[in-house]
Amino acid sequence: MISSPTLHVISTELTIGMFALSGVAFLLCLLQKGPLSREAVAHWALLGGLLATPFAILTGIDSAPGDGIDNPLLANKVLLSMTSAGLAIGVLVRRKWGGEADIRHACTGMISVGLMLTTAGMGGEYSRNETLLFFVPKETVLIFPIWASILLIILGIVIIAKSAIQHRVS
Amino acid sequence: MRIRVGIVLLLMLLSATISTANPGGKGDDIRSRDCAGSCHASSSSNGVSSANLSIELPDEIYAGLLMEIITSVGGVDVSSNNLVGMALLINSDGAKDLPANDGWEVITDPNGGVNNYVEISDSFSSQTSVNRSWTLRAPSSPGSYELYLAVQHGSQEGGIAMSGISDFVEVQVLTVPENLPQLSPEWKPINSRLIGEETTITLETMNTESATVELKNGAEISIIPVTDGKFTIPAAVNPGTVEWRVILEGEGPTQTSPWFRLTAQLPGWSVDETSLYVQGVALFLLGASLVMIQRPKEELIDKIYDNTNQVIAVEASIPELTFTQTSETVTEAPPIPPEGLPAGWTMEQWNYYGHEHLKSLEGGAV
Repeated sequence: MISSPTLHVISTELTIGMFALSGVAFLLCLLQKGPLSREAVAHWALLGGLLATPFAILTGIDSAPGDGIDNPLLANKVLLSMTSAGLAIGVLVRRKWGGEADIRHACTGMISVGLMLTTAGMGGEYSRNETLLFFVPKETVLIFPIWASILLIILGIVIIAKSAIQHRVS
Repeated sequence: MRIRVGIVLLLMLLSATISTANPGGKGDDIRSRDCAGSCHASSSSNGVSSANLSIELPDEIYAGLLMEIITSVGGVDVSSNNLVGMALLINSDGAKDLPANDGWEVITDPNGGVNNYVEISDSFSSQTSVNRSWTLRAPSSPGSYELYLAVQHGSQEGGIAMSGISDFVEVQVLTVPENLPQLSPEWKPINSRLIGEETTITLETMNTESATVELKNGAEISIIPVTDGKFTIPAAVNPGTVEWRVILEGEGPTQTSPWFRLTAQLPGWSVDETSLYVQGVALFLLGASLVMIQRPKEELIDKIYDNTNQVIAVEASIPELTFTQTSETVTEAPPIPPEGLPAGWTMEQWNYYGHEHLKSLEGGAV
């Protein structure tokens, strides 16, 4: 048997490895350089990273000391990882709908990867008190009023539904 | 080019150092010596600490009662963050070495917790010695016990995790005398509180007729009255630690408890978790929707599923076939001979094959 922290390290490295690979492939898409397989690699690696993300989150919660979210780093990790996962799913769905890996698409993919890597970096700071992201204001947490969050949820659902309907019609 | 890239990679590999695993510490916890702070490095790759380690015990230690010990770490230079991990253990084997294995209970560790491993940041150097106080409850069975002090720290040069352990200190745990005034075995002190809050503590005693509490704040010691076994420590204005002890008087010999530490802390960081999670879901949906709304243009979809343009392009690349009439077809039908059409021929056949018939006649053929 292995402990939760070790399991968290394994799942995190799996997640971050796939996201990093995806990020490099998206960079090649942006530059229009490299092998033709770059688009497939970017999207499949992104999908793999997304699938591994829940394991990293669950093992992370299990291995974190203390109860609940008692540190701004943890709060920012939640917000950044959720945003990253949302962007990643959007990128994959757009690709599924026939979108080309143009500059905007590649940039969105890279932003998603960047947010997830930042999340991982903050985890390193939380557990080992060391980070290269010293210039990121990680101690500041922007929390919306709950009504604003609900409004954004409704807005997001409406946009997704509208996009899906338009896709079916076309 | 490949050789240059290979050389750069090789230089990067060679420039890497064998790093200590946890230069920022692992955090206070209940830890065995085997993983007391250097989990990424095997114990065989650690250096041996040159620290002078000692444990100072009280004169008399009674079974099941509270006691205070002082641990000392001195004569060692550590890494730049001045962090040393100290572990209180019962053997040097690296297994089954937790104090609880012998019945010891850590009531208050030097950082105000209840752990046998704590990380201390102080002015460690080869010229100084750093002392820390631990409050323990002795094992409930009288007898002879051993205690060890182990340390983990970095080195000034960096790169190697240093570890060390003291010689054992023998502890004689005595039987509790009859009628000895004492704190109840179930009673435990409060270790921490928030700034600005008064702290009322209820004492649970045995064989005690009167109790007096002494409060030490810095170098000043003041007396706090105890009423019905309760006393109140005034609120703290700033983060810090005050120490207090109780003097118990009864039929038996007067007993003085160890100094208990009460640490005042700023309120911890907190967040409305419901708002946080709802906002997380909102950002998730918003992120996904903002990308999905950038639907591919119609012509892009057509380009993928409609191959008309490709077909047109292919067709355009094929040279156009032009049908040109031969001279024979262009030329008019040969004149009908005076004897008329050959027997059985129709006019249409004559139009097509009349020339060949005439040529065959000119050639002498029948």
